[in-house]
Amino acid sequence: MTPRLKRLFVVVIVIQVVFLLGLVGYREATLIYGRTAVLQTVPVDPRDLFKGEYVTLRYEISTLRNDRKNPDPKKRTRLIGNFNEGDTAYVTLITVGLSSSYSILAQAGEPLSGADLFIKGKVTSSNDGTITVDYGIEQYFILEGRGLEIEQADDVKVRVKINRSGTAAIEALIVDGEVWRP
Amino acid sequence: MTEETQNNDSDQIAGTNTQQSDPEVTPTSTLAPIASERQNWLKTRVEKWRESGIISDDQSEAIINYEAAPEEPFRLGLRFNRLIVVLATLGAILIGAGIISFVAANWQGIPSIAKLALLIGGQVATYGVAYQLQFARGYPRIGGAIMFTGAAWFGANVFLVAQSYHLPTDNPDLLIWWFLGILPLAYIVRSNAITVMAIGIFIVGLAWKAGTWADGSENFFGVVGILLLSAAVIYAIGTLHLVREKIKFHAGPYLAGGALLAIGVTYILTFAEVFRESSREINNFQTVSSSQIILTSIVTIIAATALAMTYRFSPHINRNSSQRFAETAVVVLVVALGWILITLPLNSIGFYVVAFNLLLVLLIFGTITLGIVNKREALVNIGIIFFVIDLATRYIELTVDMLDTSLAFIIGGLLLLGVGYGMERARRKLLTQFGLRESSHDS
Repeated sequence: MTPRLKRLFVVVIVIQVVFLLGLVGYREATLIYGRTAVLQTVPVDPRDLFKGEYVTLRYEISTLRNDRKNPDPKKRTRLIGNFNEGDTAYVTLITVGLSSSYSILAQAGEPLSGADLFIKGKVTSSNDGTITVDYGIEQYFILEGRGLEIEQADDVKVRVKINRSGTAAIEALIVDGEVWRP
Repeated sequence: MTEETQNNDSDQIAGTNTQQSDPEVTPTSTLAPIASERQNWLKTRVEKWRESGIISDDQSEAIINYEAAPEEPFRLGLRFNRLIVVLATLGAILIGAGIISFVAANWQGIPSIAKLALLIGGQVATYGVAYQLQFARGYPRIGGAIMFTGAAWFGANVFLVAQSYHLPTDNPDLLIWWFLGILPLAYIVRSNAITVMAIGIFIVGLAWKAGTWADGSENFFGVVGILLLSAAVIYAIGTLHLVREKIKFHAGPYLAGGALLAIGVTYILTFAEVFRESSREINNFQTVSSSQIILTSIVTIIAATALAMTYRFSPHINRNSSQRFAETAVVVLVVALGWILITLPLNSIGFYVVAFNLLLVLLIFGTITLGIVNKREALVNIGIIFFVIDLATRYIELTVDMLDTSLAFIIGGLLLLGVGYGMERARRKLLTQFGLRESSHDS
């Protein structure tokens, strides 16, 4: 191999490693410096629960529609703008009272001005005023054989860290009130 | 994998040179018996070259002795060579499969940072070992196989990092990143195996991504059109590789990948049901978004540039003009039909079905022809496989409602036997034209 090709070989390897480290670094930065939110999951079709070795997660904020008059303030939702499939949705989480529950405000295209905490997702379907949003946190990889614990739990919440741009990363599962150890 | 055979050739040449150095042996007495018509022809030609002064006496003797060497040791050398390649490749594939299954097993017992350090470190170490073996220690085949393992390891690491942070792994972007990471490596280390892997990954990732865009959307034809155009680009890039000796080695995967993608996509479009189910798009003149026009234009420009550069530089290499024009015309036709698919200018399902059926036939026979002319076995195989698939599909389409099922099976079976017999005869003819012979014990 000529010296020039040798140098190029080293450069390619370095680029591959830098790419991997960059991916790790971006996620680690979100987990370290991001703001914490706890999202409530909703039951999923048991047939979809497991695909190999990961759990499929769906959240209360995965399916959204206008519901501004819900008697429960924690379930009031407002959609702002037109949502089409493939659009980016910015879901602002507004704390209700002193609890970690929140009401939801979703806006298409950009985050709500002055929003304190928002999570970014992609609209996967939009029908009759109801949208489905993917936030990139719908899978949780687990060790083989441990999925049953999650499947049989009564309540599963997900603690996430959200960075300034709204990208969320899963920090931990909270199964029946306790942090789940993988 | 194509493999050089220089190592074994050098052993063979050393043997004949020893014979040549004996002063008491006349040139003719060193000749091994000439066993075939081909070698008789060669002897006649070499004698004429020697008489006309093109080659010296020593050179003529060296050529004759080299070609007269018993075939069995030479063939044995070739087979041993291939055995090394097969063993090394199988070993590399097993290691690669082991790495990937390791990823799928969710290795969570070790802290993330340590786990990633081991895997990234392992990848770098694999590359280091591969480099040493392939370029420094003179074990090119083993080194090449380990280099292939390193490239596979990089892909496994991409998926592992995604999995470690619970990112969706059913994401075609990961395949595209894998492709971008290993494609330059394929050229630097001159690995056809890594080129094949890269192109394969790219096509799967592209088709997967196109599928996610088209799924349930009103954009099916736009996405499929882009896929067709991408196939033309990949093939055109393959033809561009052929004009430079240094990169000609890498042309095969592009040509085969482009042909496979083009034929595969066209095959899907030969069914009227595909157009009927999306009749809403066709009944109205489809409004194409500006972003789609831009993307389509970019892909078209890349294809056109590759073809233009191939056309510009190809007079410098031995290429038949009509073949060059025919190949270019087919690529242009694919691009044109891609545009028609994206814009859907005519309100007629029949037009599109007929057009794509004709295109499929053209692509199949064009691929087989180009494969024969350029001696590219992969293209011939792709063409023949899709010929059989298309034939079977059209037969079933035509007869499913017309004939009793059992009668259809009988007729179909007879047709297949007939096609198989014809193909076997054609295959033997092709092998003869390529100048290859099958061993009698080969099945």
